[in-house]
Amino acid sequence: MKKSCLLLLVLFVLQLTMPTGGHAIPAFARKHGFNCNMCHTAYPKLNDFGQRFRDNGYQIPGQEGREKSVFDTPPPIAVRTSTGLSGYNTKNVTTSGFDMLGLDLLAAGVMHKNISFLFIYTPRMDEPSADYTGSQGGTNPSQLGALESGNVVFSNVIQDALNVRVGRFEPAYHAISSKRSFYLTEPYEIYSFSTPENNFVFDDNQIGVEATGQWRCGFKYGLGVVNGTGASPDNNRYKDVYLNVSQTMGAGDGQSAGQRIGAFVYYGWQPLSISGATLSPTGEADGGPNEPFYRFGGHASLNWKTLNLQGSYVKGVDDNSLNVLAPTEDYEFDGGLAELDYAGLMNNRLIASALYNWICTPSYDRDREVKAYSGVLRYYFGDWTAVNVALHAEYTHRETGETDPLKENIYALVVDFAF
Amino acid sequence: MKRIHVFLAVVILFVPLLVLAADNSPQPLTGVEVHSLGPQKLGNLPQVSVPADNPQTGMKIMLGKQLYFDTRLSKDNTISCATCHDPLAGWADKGPTSEGIGSQRGGRRAPPVSNAAYLPLQFWDGRAPSLEEQAKGPIQNPVEMGNTHEQMLRTVGDIPGYVEEFKNVFGTTPVTIDQVAQAIAAFERTVITTDSPFDRLVKGDDTALTPLEKQGLEIFNGKAHCTACHWGGHFTDGRFHNLGVTQSGPLKVDDGRSEITKNPKDTRAFKTPTVRDAALRPPYMHTGGEKTLTDVVNFYNKGGGTRDAYLDRIMVPLGLTDQEVSALVAFMTRAMTSLNPEVAAVTPIPASVLPK
Repeated sequence: MKKSCLLLLVLFVLQLTMPTGGHAIPAFARKHGFNCNMCHTAYPKLNDFGQRFRDNGYQIPGQEGREKSVFDTPPPIAVRTSTGLSGYNTKNVTTSGFDMLGLDLLAAGVMHKNISFLFIYTPRMDEPSADYTGSQGGTNPSQLGALESGNVVFSNVIQDALNVRVGRFEPAYHAISSKRSFYLTEPYEIYSFSTPENNFVFDDNQIGVEATGQWRCGFKYGLGVVNGTGASPDNNRYKDVYLNVSQTMGAGDGQSAGQRIGAFVYYGWQPLSISGATLSPTGEADGGPNEPFYRFGGHASLNWKTLNLQGSYVKGVDDNSLNVLAPTEDYEFDGGLAELDYAGLMNNRLIASALYNWICTPSYDRDREVKAYSGVLRYYFGDWTAVNVALHAEYTHRETGETDPLKENIYALVVDFAF
Repeated sequence: MKRIHVFLAVVILFVPLLVLAADNSPQPLTGVEVHSLGPQKLGNLPQVSVPADNPQTGMKIMLGKQLYFDTRLSKDNTISCATCHDPLAGWADKGPTSEGIGSQRGGRRAPPVSNAAYLPLQFWDGRAPSLEEQAKGPIQNPVEMGNTHEQMLRTVGDIPGYVEEFKNVFGTTPVTIDQVAQAIAAFERTVITTDSPFDRLVKGDDTALTPLEKQGLEIFNGKAHCTACHWGGHFTDGRFHNLGVTQSGPLKVDDGRSEITKNPKDTRAFKTPTVRDAALRPPYMHTGGEKTLTDVVNFYNKGGGTRDAYLDRIMVPLGLTDQEVSALVAFMTRAMTSLNPEVAAVTPIPASVLPK
């Protein structure tokens, strides 16, 4: 028991020190001279205008071709980081420390009319010197961080109805973006969950091609073909596909106005083994045999004044060949999140949020069930263009397992800033 | 071999995407230079650019000012430029829509002349590419001045003082419509409103705005999304947007910019007016349908008006609270109102000279 607690603690600390990957791109605010609230309810969460700006390839709708390009503006570089005190305690362990919870180096902009790019690099924060051994089980000592996003967007290939994003990107099935979550220490648990023999993680950015579009009636879609591993190179020759559709009722995009509902499905393949697999010159493996899995679910975002209630339900099924715990049956799980956000004070200076996460696992894997209750208070200082500083307080009570739940308390008091 | 296939497939996929992405939006009117303003920060007004064929001179500006205030340019000597573009009404109209000759009611309210020199296109629908072209229009509009250019020139040509002034300014006689338009445009290029509390703030006077107005500025440039269109020194992008304004007034249908461009995407789109001195010129919108600035903000707060197929995609509900609306209105009411010392609002034409 102590060992498992220690393991969980180590995993938790590792998770804390992983970059949060939150998006807030002051380079756009700097370019336009806008206050951050132009695009964000409060950074990093997008409002309806920001969502349309993003959907339109980082161009103000109607200004396509008139936007200054990255060649006409100061270097479109931005930084976001959060640092402060975080703590953790469970039955036997209490820790606390000053941490940097993440660092994003962002570059984004319009290269040409309807052609834009986004680049996010997240260097490691857990060591003072560059001895991090990388994400591939410590086999890549040269990797000092992660390229979270690097993509090119071809917008308005068909006006509003077809935009194409190529590269590594946050896939459209993230209807509720974990990258723009107010939470710094508590992830959307169902997004982060991975099954025993399947390294697909719903939360990962993916590499591939994605088409998105929308119509004036409020219908939106996102359709993509990706590696499925979130990594480069790929581990098999099979590609994963996904589709997300949503419908917004009323004005807005359902971010901060209007009511939005949607559904998504993801169908992928994972190789049982890549050990001994043949590699291409660029590193792709012909791993196999490839076994299927899928995820599907729904999401909703409801708005009333400055209150936003959003939630997502995810059901996951892995083929039984991917289930080492019960090889005769498919591994089935489900879970979701429900988040209530309130924006208060002048220009949304104050954010209060409550989040509930849950994951239900099969009877033979009950130790991985999760229930987590979280709350956030954020206060934003100043009204400076393209500079944002927020004082952030966060608390999570997390229970893992069923028979003898591990009860954890996690808190953080940090300064979250972007410029 | 397979890599070559993949490479070719990528090329085949993306070349058309590049082409399509580059060339699928409407182009500006042929022969009309639309200034590439590009999103700019809020700030002071820059130097007015003057066309090479109509340089500013003191005598020309004074002549233009006389013409601007002269009702004799209209058919029945009752309407001058200043009638509808009244300096005492923020260089616009008391509205809601403008009243022309014979008490005829126009379909739109007169847009402000102040700072119009910064706009690449004139009129609500942008049909005139310059101040000079704009100045010619109302004279012969049957609902506005109701005159003809020929008759107006005969009237002006019969006034010895004007003939002498035109000869001094342009060096030729008889007076032409282009000379009249150039003189009026030259004057209008001096109608620049400056020295508002906002301008002083930009110049470094941190006390120029009250705390509430500063909050209003923050909201103006943030949560309220105003600067998506009202940006730069002139607080306007000079472009055309469909806000879903409900049509009212004499016109049952007004398709705005699309009547000029014939592009359906411009349906019911109208030019972004400047926010400078907005408090001086209620009511608002091209119809005058919104009585106060608070009404205007509430209009935007709910995401605009009629959600027709051409509603601008920047129109989204704002979620402004009552306090935020108040701050925004406070900013626009006082902080954006110029003391305007450069321009005398007094008519240079003595009333005794004008026909009764």
